[in-house]
Amino acid sequence: MRSPIRIVFEQRNETPKHLSVLVPLLSVVAALVVGALFLLATGYSPLETYSNMLSDGFTSSRGITDTLGLSTVLICTGISAAFAFQMNLYNIGGEGQLYLGMIGGAWVGLAIGDRLPTFVMIPIVLLVGSLAGALWILLPAFVRSRLGTSEIVTTLLLTYIAASLVKHFVYSPGSFFVTKNSAFPQGRLVPDSASLSGIGNTSLYPSFFLVILIAIVLFWVVKKTEYGYRIQVISDSPRAAHYAGINANRTTMSVMLISGALSGLGGAVLIVGPFGRLDPGIILLGYGYAGIVIAALARNNFSAIIVSGILFAGLRSGGDKLQISTDTPIHIGVMLQGAILLFALGGEAFRRYHIHAVRTERATQ
Amino acid sequence: MNGNIWVLASADSVAIATTLILAALGALFTERAGVLNLGIEGILLTSAISSFLVADSSGSIWLGLIVGSLVGALLAGIHAVLSVVLRANQIVAGLALVIFGTGLANFLGKPAEGKTVTTLIKPLSFGPLSDIPLIGPIVFRQDPITYASIVIAIVSSLYLFRSRPGLELRATGDDPATVDAQGLSVASIRIRYTLFGGLLVGLGGSWLMLAQSAAWHQAATTNGVGWIALALVVFAGWRPMRLIFGAILFGFTLQLPFTLQAEQITFIPSALMQMLPYLATLIALIALSRPSTRNKLGAPKSLGIPFVRDER
Repeated sequence: MRSPIRIVFEQRNETPKHLSVLVPLLSVVAALVVGALFLLATGYSPLETYSNMLSDGFTSSRGITDTLGLSTVLICTGISAAFAFQMNLYNIGGEGQLYLGMIGGAWVGLAIGDRLPTFVMIPIVLLVGSLAGALWILLPAFVRSRLGTSEIVTTLLLTYIAASLVKHFVYSPGSFFVTKNSAFPQGRLVPDSASLSGIGNTSLYPSFFLVILIAIVLFWVVKKTEYGYRIQVISDSPRAAHYAGINANRTTMSVMLISGALSGLGGAVLIVGPFGRLDPGIILLGYGYAGIVIAALARNNFSAIIVSGILFAGLRSGGDKLQISTDTPIHIGVMLQGAILLFALGGEAFRRYHIHAVRTERATQ
Repeated sequence: MNGNIWVLASADSVAIATTLILAALGALFTERAGVLNLGIEGILLTSAISSFLVADSSGSIWLGLIVGSLVGALLAGIHAVLSVVLRANQIVAGLALVIFGTGLANFLGKPAEGKTVTTLIKPLSFGPLSDIPLIGPIVFRQDPITYASIVIAIVSSLYLFRSRPGLELRATGDDPATVDAQGLSVASIRIRYTLFGGLLVGLGGSWLMLAQSAAWHQAATTNGVGWIALALVVFAGWRPMRLIFGAILFGFTLQLPFTLQAEQITFIPSALMQMLPYLATLIALIALSRPSTRNKLGAPKSLGIPFVRDER
């Protein structure tokens, strides 16, 4: 009998620099290979599909502005997820908080937009949207910090409730959010004072730069401030935090509320930007869920999220246009997104451990 | 006539509970072994569309059920490799599986849009028994998989609490170091039950498709049932028998909006009515997390924690 082989995981003390770049890169390649297999099996040409996605997402000038425009909301949901994840708080309800941001932003825009100038109105819409997002996570945050109820399922269930709320506001007769006397139910456009125009007639809005700025500020907050240090201590060792006199409940509460507000901001960005109205179509887009993937791939690093957010926006916007140009199902984009994350998670093991096989001696058995 | 509608509603609750029982049992076996698989929703969707495509092209619903279940096990296999072998973050791995499964299901479902299953899984008839008022439609007019799901739950309970391998399974979730010291492989037990759990979830998804929905509605086919199933496991305290009752209760909240709509009871707008199952689940979860009840529930103590043997 041959001696059995054992796989040994040896914890690395230091991660080699090249692996930090190589692992995400190989994850993307591996996911594209898996996607290609599915495309082949269902009768589409992988080469044609991918080259179309590349040009629609990244290399054409229209593609680039579309991608950066879409990345605005994805970076919002990405930093929202990362802000909570870094403290091991799994807010996976960013999707629902985003819906609330849309509802809040559209509501305030429609309610007082006529009476105020643009430079006042835009910040108000963004602020109210963020507050609405924070409001949507208030209950999960409260029960998590007081009773220890896992935030994972509660935040997610609230997403389904938020989706019903969006449908209610659009489809119920005489709703404040819809156009009166319209043939089919449709959200009312917010007044001009509450909407920005795309830069040079593209779908890239100035809100993109605001969101980038927020990501950079958060990067600084986490790395350099006392608040960021507190988050670090709690996530590394709740016991140590307790002995250091850090109020973990309060930090939990504030981190979750900020996370909710960031997703809400993502919804408000859609109101001042491309959507301009409460649109139930948002429910099918999954921008909030994409934020989870973006955060995980960037390993909750806020500056890396800008990169992974733009990458995923390209993947999505390239994938979305496929259906029009080649009749390939658009869902290939979402599928690739999931596959990349699965491979990246698997790749983590190679980053964290030195994995090798040893042939164990029979005598020691 | 009014009474009749409520009998049918109760019968529907029992029927709709089938997917909840199977999916929650799948999660229960996985979690009892100490693995947290949040990917249930993604597995349900992918197995649902697989069963549809197979049943549609082969003409056999049973083949559809089998393939759908196997696809469930296959996807759970991805989770097993990531969380048991590669020790990845199980929460993120589960979410990745939901996103991947949703995209994959919608991709595969493209040709199924607008089609319906030609032959559905039909309810059994027990002759005169099925015609007993009240009890007949609720107890004696369900389909074979619904009965099977309840039998599987009862057998699971006996297996978990009355058999040697059941003891080993529970020990793996609570105290893997002891199981390891007994000379059993923690990794192998965890992988096996994660796969078996996926098989059950896959069966639930296939049944949902071939007996309930009959047509592919993308993500709305499952509509969050996978997440309700995960909450149901907590609600049932990781015990299969309690899970049956919980599933029927949640099944009732799932079908209630449709019954009220059919009854033309419209004082609550239908979009708001559709929140009910999620709201009920949310309230149940929060009510159960008072510290006094939590300890009694008996969550596996090593749930979600990878096992690493202390190397001497």
